[in-house]
Amino acid sequence: MKPHTPDSSARAALIIVLVFVLLWEGGVRLFSVPVYLLPAPSTILLTLAQNASMYAQATLLTVGEALAGLLLGVLAGVIIAVLLTLVPHIEAGVMSLAIMIKSTPLVAIAPLLTLWLGFGVLPKIIITALLTFFPVLVNVISGLQRVDGALLDLFRSWRASRWKLFLYLRLPSAVPYIFAALKISAPLAITGAVVAEWTGASGGLGRVMWLAYANLNLPYLFAPIVILAAIGISLYRLLAHAERRLVFWLPSSTVE
Amino acid sequence: MDLTVSCLSHVYPGRKTRPALEAVDFTVPSGQFVALVGPSGCGKSTLLRLIASLIQPTAGRIEIDGGLTPSQAAAAQHIAWMSQSPALLPWLTARDNIAILRRVLPEGTRLRLSPDEALSMVGLEAAAEAYPFTLSGGMQQRLALARLLTLDSSLWLMDEPFAALDELTRERLSQDLLELWQPLRPTVLWVTHNIYEALRLANRVLVFTPQPGRIAADIDVPLPYPREEADPAFQQVLLQVRQALSLNRNQYEAAHA
Ligand SMILES: Nc1ncnc2c1ncn2[C@@H]1O[C@H](COP(=O)(O)OP(=O)(O)OP(=O)(O)O)[C@@H](O)[C@H]1O
Ligand SMILES: [Mg+2]
Repeated sequence: MKPHTPDSSARAALIIVLVFVLLWEGGVRLFSVPVYLLPAPSTILLTLAQNASMYAQATLLTVGEALAGLLLGVLAGVIIAVLLTLVPHIEAGVMSLAIMIKSTPLVAIAPLLTLWLGFGVLPKIIITALLTFFPVLVNVISGLQRVDGALLDLFRSWRASRWKLFLYLRLPSAVPYIFAALKISAPLAITGAVVAEWTGASGGLGRVMWLAYANLNLPYLFAPIVILAAIGISLYRLLAHAERRLVFWLPSSTVE
Repeated sequence: MDLTVSCLSHVYPGRKTRPALEAVDFTVPSGQFVALVGPSGCGKSTLLRLIASLIQPTAGRIEIDGGLTPSQAAAAQHIAWMSQSPALLPWLTARDNIAILRRVLPEGTRLRLSPDEALSMVGLEAAAEAYPFTLSGGMQQRLALARLLTLDSSLWLMDEPFAALDELTRERLSQDLLELWQPLRPTVLWVTHNIYEALRLANRVLVFTPQPGRIAADIDVPLPYPREEADPAFQQVLLQVRQALSLNRNQYEAAHA
């Protein structure tokens, strides 16, 4: 058996994707599937190439909204987690509020926000932030609180102040958990921005997809999916790379 | 630094029927090396954690340095505590794991050594830039020892510090520890399951009964260093400790039959 290196598994992933695309292309051609049901990969790529600048513009907007919302969600999640760790008796109250927000379906909030805030980018950023903040909050709280017992005892034997305990032990212990959260939240951010645009926007991939859907123009609808998949994979790999650099003391937890 | 423990008892919350320690009394003069031995679960770690003021006793008193409470003594950085786990910060290099003391300890705390001096005392100068996960278990425990030496403390509470290491490494480390102890002469409480280790290191052995822990025997070890296991005097003390341990095991079994 060959050793399982990141390189060889990347190659394997590429081969799996290629086989999938070839089967799809072959199937569509073999059974002459009409384009209004399922376009072939070649048709989708052609649409993508012919409308490159339109898609590029929409992608920029969507990714911008997603990243802004993710940043906001991560900041909010980390800050609230830190507050809850430093002031533990408010935890129950804040957590039930967070779970309430988390349990409200996105499809219910998105149109409301559009109604209140219009078709601009702000409601998209807010929805993305709401969607991404919960995994960050939960993970960072675990990270800050699940500190190695022997280390905790050691810091206590040194009479470290609460603040120093936080800064030199709890916070660094939480870094791996922040990455775990980001790997969940980053794809969510993209989904959030697209769904928010779908419910009413002046631009972005979600808007393009909604228009294509309304006209039953499937190649136009599928092209953004290809773009979104590429963005999702790139984001994930970027995070995995950053994780390996920053959390060097743990064995890699990322499948690549 | 002397230590007086009087009528010390500890019951963990939710374990009312089984105290961990019951009415423990002993006095340790400054500079003595005391080994604590006893069956598993008899409360040795609990005793050390009480003295380090990591937990509060349910009854009894502990006086350190002629009248300080454990928490006053700890606040004055008189106490250094070390356990079986090296408890190193994985994101810091060996040197930084010691240098962090400067930042974590209260402002103005005196330290005995610089990080590099401490590393060279335990023979780790070449590993200063290494991260803990790249060090062997023995080296990690040496690093923890270097960190302990850096503290300017005169009461060392050591809870089976080398128990997770193999026999050979463990013997070498305890020999090194003895050499570091002799010039500094801190008071040491050393928990161990290894009677030979206890007798190679300690001036005195306190044998505990099974849970609830009480002192079953207080045995002097009036032998010069370095100690030879083949020495008849060594064998004699060994026999004494063995007898105290098996005696109280028999009593325990009789009581619980
Ligand atoms: N945090 C805790 N909560 C409840 N019970 C505890 C706790 N820590 C220890 N105990 C109990 O107190 C008793 C004494 O425990 P302790 O760890 O002091 O024993 P020990 O002598 O150090 O044992 P060993 O030699 O196995 O390390 C045991 O019965 C143990 O189960
Ligand atoms: Mg123990």
